[in-house]
Amino acid sequence: MLEQERFFNDLVKQYSEPLYWHVRAMVGNHDDADDLMQDIYIKAWNALPRFRGDSDPFTWLWRIATNETISFLRKARVRAALSFSRIDSEAERVSDPNPYFDGDKALRALRKAMATLPDKQRLVFTMRYYEELSYEQMSEITGTSVGALKTSYHIAFEKIKDFLTTSD
Amino acid sequence: MKKQMPYSTPEGYFDKLQTRLSDIPARRSRINLTPYLALAASFALAALAGNYILMKTTASQPASDEEIVEYLIDSGMTLAQLEDAVYDY
Repeated sequence: MLEQERFFNDLVKQYSEPLYWHVRAMVGNHDDADDLMQDIYIKAWNALPRFRGDSDPFTWLWRIATNETISFLRKARVRAALSFSRIDSEAERVSDPNPYFDGDKALRALRKAMATLPDKQRLVFTMRYYEELSYEQMSEITGTSVGALKTSYHIAFEKIKDFLTTSD
Repeated sequence: MKKQMPYSTPEGYFDKLQTRLSDIPARRSRINLTPYLALAASFALAALAGNYILMKTTASQPASDEEIVEYLIDSGMTLAQLEDAVYDY
């Protein structure tokens, strides 16, 4: 138990900040990212007895975070649809001026373009563009083949390029 | 983060976050039930479940938002279908 706590605290010290940015890039909003961090680390703590020592803790934790975040976004969309609000308003929600957004015009446009991507493409784009993960790492995290990830990144990249060109 | 993220966080956020997250094991162990309590809880749960089933079969309760969301996700309905249904309504 003590060993597990020590390992868990290492996960918190080493990864909480980069993991926050991973989640924040996906959800856009600080409060949602903060809530998700709590849920992700609770899930990680509960799953720790099943963690195999030979696995990479980074990949393991990112996989939990990614599943949790995708599930959160899916629920948020269904909730939005049920409350009769337009789904595409999410693009504004994630990139509208807020107290914790300090990007310039170009970064804001990039965020807006990213918000138009489907969740999985946005995830792939975030991991590759912002976090600079290798396709092999991304494959382990998402359980998707390297080839499919490359295609997904290419499509996401082209969509963002089109969005930025047409919105100029 | 290698590339610049257009976001910031409240002052001292990551220190507070680390403290909060590090507290998870202690909080989880505090809510761990002893075997006797777990046994008592399982009896209580069985009684509650029986009561719940009885209520369900005798009176129709409106589903919560969370139950509706879970049901729609589990049913495999696509967002496009859902939107069509909502806006056609």
